[in-house]
Amino acid sequence: MLITQIKDKEAIASAIKGKIFIINCHGCKEVHFPETQAKEIEKEWCDEGIVTGILTTDYICNPENLALRLEKHRAEIEEADTVLVLSCGVGVQTVAEYLGNKRVCAACDTYPLPGGQGVTPLEYDCDQCGECWLNLTGGICPITACSKSLVNGQCGGSKNGKCEVDPDMECGWERIYRRLAQLGRLDVLKTPVHIHNFATDLEVGKE
Amino acid sequence: MENYTKYKLKGSDELAPFLQEADQIFVVACNKCFKEFETVEEPDLDAFLAMAEAQGKTVIGSAKVDFLCNKTLTEKQWKDLVPEGTKSVFAVSCGLGVQTVADISGLTTYAAANSLNYRGHHGMALTKKACDACAQCYLNVTGGICPVVDCQKSLLNGQCGGAKNGKCEVDPDKDCAWERIYNKLKEQGRLEEFLAQPVQTRDYSRINHKVIQDYVKASRENRLDGYYGGVHPSENKEYSEHIPLVRFPEPETVVIPLSQHAGAPANPAVEVGDYVKVGQKIGTSAGFISANIHASVSGTVEAVEPRLHPTKGGDVLSVVIRSDGKDIPDDSIKPRENIEDLTPDEIVNIVNENGIVGMGGAGFPTYVKLKPGKPIDAVLLNGCECEPYLTADHRVLLEFADDVICGLKLVMKAVAAPKGIIVIEDNKPDAIELLTEKTKDIDNIEVVSAKTKYPQGAEKMLIKRVMGRQVPSGKLPADVGACVCNISSVKAIADAVCKGMPLTERVVTVTGEKIAKPGNYIVKIGTSVNELIKYCGGLTSDDVLIKMGGPMMGFPLPDTEVPVLKSTNGIIAINTDSTTPVECIKCGRCVDVCPMELKPLYFQKYADEGKWQEMLDMNVRDCIECRCCEYICSSKIPLVTKIKNGKAEVMKLLKK
Repeated sequence: MLITQIKDKEAIASAIKGKIFIINCHGCKEVHFPETQAKEIEKEWCDEGIVTGILTTDYICNPENLALRLEKHRAEIEEADTVLVLSCGVGVQTVAEYLGNKRVCAACDTYPLPGGQGVTPLEYDCDQCGECWLNLTGGICPITACSKSLVNGQCGGSKNGKCEVDPDMECGWERIYRRLAQLGRLDVLKTPVHIHNFATDLEVGKE
Repeated sequence: MENYTKYKLKGSDELAPFLQEADQIFVVACNKCFKEFETVEEPDLDAFLAMAEAQGKTVIGSAKVDFLCNKTLTEKQWKDLVPEGTKSVFAVSCGLGVQTVADISGLTTYAAANSLNYRGHHGMALTKKACDACAQCYLNVTGGICPVVDCQKSLLNGQCGGAKNGKCEVDPDKDCAWERIYNKLKEQGRLEEFLAQPVQTRDYSRINHKVIQDYVKASRENRLDGYYGGVHPSENKEYSEHIPLVRFPEPETVVIPLSQHAGAPANPAVEVGDYVKVGQKIGTSAGFISANIHASVSGTVEAVEPRLHPTKGGDVLSVVIRSDGKDIPDDSIKPRENIEDLTPDEIVNIVNENGIVGMGGAGFPTYVKLKPGKPIDAVLLNGCECEPYLTADHRVLLEFADDVICGLKLVMKAVAAPKGIIVIEDNKPDAIELLTEKTKDIDNIEVVSAKTKYPQGAEKMLIKRVMGRQVPSGKLPADVGACVCNISSVKAIADAVCKGMPLTERVVTVTGEKIAKPGNYIVKIGTSVNELIKYCGGLTSDDVLIKMGGPMMGFPLPDTEVPVLKSTNGIIAINTDSTTPVECIKCGRCVDVCPMELKPLYFQKYADEGKWQEMLDMNVRDCIECRCCEYICSSKIPLVTKIKNGKAEVMKLLKK
């Protein structure tokens, strides 16, 4: 799950060549899809007469259904020089793979959505670090709640409880301390020093 | 299919000290997401309990929860799950679930699992595709192969030189991504363009977590606004929302089914050869839940026979009238005087006599609603029209505002409600403005603008949004002091009471991207849908889906030679879609959007397995068939069909 933002018009213009076929993916629209912006820019291209067809659909990351849906637009796709995809990077790659040698371009940049490995966009962050620290921190994640992702306590730079990197952000370790105090669990702070394992996800996944 | 479950149980060595210090333990396990929905019995909870037992620890309770990170739903059930005296909680879940539990419970919460990082997997389908969400998509210059994910070193400017025989030096099982990119661009004849690219640099500051956090916060508030769940399909109302009402030309023949409402079909009151006038009763209500039917044209009855019904899936006894084109009203139709003096019972009788039913789609006889037998605090006038494409109620609000307000006052009198609330979605600002202006001097009528979200027009959602009251499972709006009426229905009530005119015509939106000339029409009941489409310039393509009603809850019309009913708010001709259902991957979106807070993914599983008791236990009968789950389903499973089938089987089970 992620959010997309449409690239600058110039950036898209430099990528597309000749006539275009447009695919809008609304699969994650309930999370985010820049629908109004997309409609506006597509209308401009239509007025320029370079659009051979538009397919607005969902979950183009699902290759089976993508194939079924693109089939109906074969002729329009063949007529186009570029297939322009408004979706996350997964969708663009699924289309690119399915269409083989067709020029497939991405009209969006994809941003990660913190906490998005769950279902609804969440206020909780989990960075999927592979070695959960929450046992020692009263259930507040030091990787995401501390802007430096420190795992052994505060850096000492916070002022009045605010982070020195981002003064709008509360110091994650102060929050952890308060939560532990509330729970009567300040003793966990006496655990030995921890070392963050930066093994790549591939390594973690293979374990 | 890949399994992207986000957690893996920690080892007993790591958990031992935490188990040691913990007391009065409650264990909660998340039923996982993003894996094929093969079983409802995930093994991780038992594995953890065995670990605790081996250590001689007593666990005082345990539970399995779906989508533990869904704070709204988890919070609601939390109190019932946790035994009294619980001092610590172990959560078998990814970091999101653990943090949710820590927050909700306020107890010492332990993470019994590590979250796994499937970096590069963000799509919904469980494929191997990869996107690292780097915020500066390079796919345009790499032939659609991602250098950030597919190259072990995430190089942006070509190969490192370490590949041997096309294989990566870091992982010899992997193809060198840059060789793949080169080959693909070569095939596409884009090598020159590719090699002339300036050097790319990765801008790590592109991802501004704060902006994203704020976005997430706003998005959450928006999603949960008013009531849980719901979706925001493309509205597509621009085709017809600004087109004023036009009277559809007198049809040559009308086919009026004797069943256009919920409940028993009416009994025919005319015979072949009879001459009838507009508003004359041609079908008599056949019970408590039934409705009278009236002629919509003047002319001769040509047949009383079964004809194809648009929504009941078969032939239904209908009265066919050939119009004489004179539109002569029945003698009984006279404007009524002294409307102020009517008693509540008289209003109810007029509504019943004139065959008024819910015109928003369900066709429930309106007079029944007007005899709630319980105190009503407010009448909610439902001007949401939350279905995409449809603009019929919107036009009625704009062009018949006075009739609508008059009808609302009559309903308020009938049910003795002290207050009337007109609810309009914020995508109809002109209607909100007009009605606010028209009601500004009426003390007990208020106009509420509601943020657009489907299915806001569903009674239970509307009541929750406006009155903050929850209609309990199996109960009716009257049980929480509410009476909900549709815009067109109250307009019909005003016509019946003031003009003495029965329900013989209604406003229908004919629209969709495949209709040549969309518009809003005043159409006589019984007019052929085919005629209506022809009048609107016909269809622009053969590849079309025609529905009676909106795209979400409307009925597909394989044959358009069917009549317009009292409850027909629209005829839409829209793009077709071709999909095939694939396995449920527990993405959880159906649970996320179900406004009744049900778990549709279980319904499809149990329907396939014929487990009707389980379906009943999961409250399948509460489903309002709004189709949000089917709309959002990433596996394209026809959930509502399976649910309808399940409901029928559950009824059989209950009868036993």
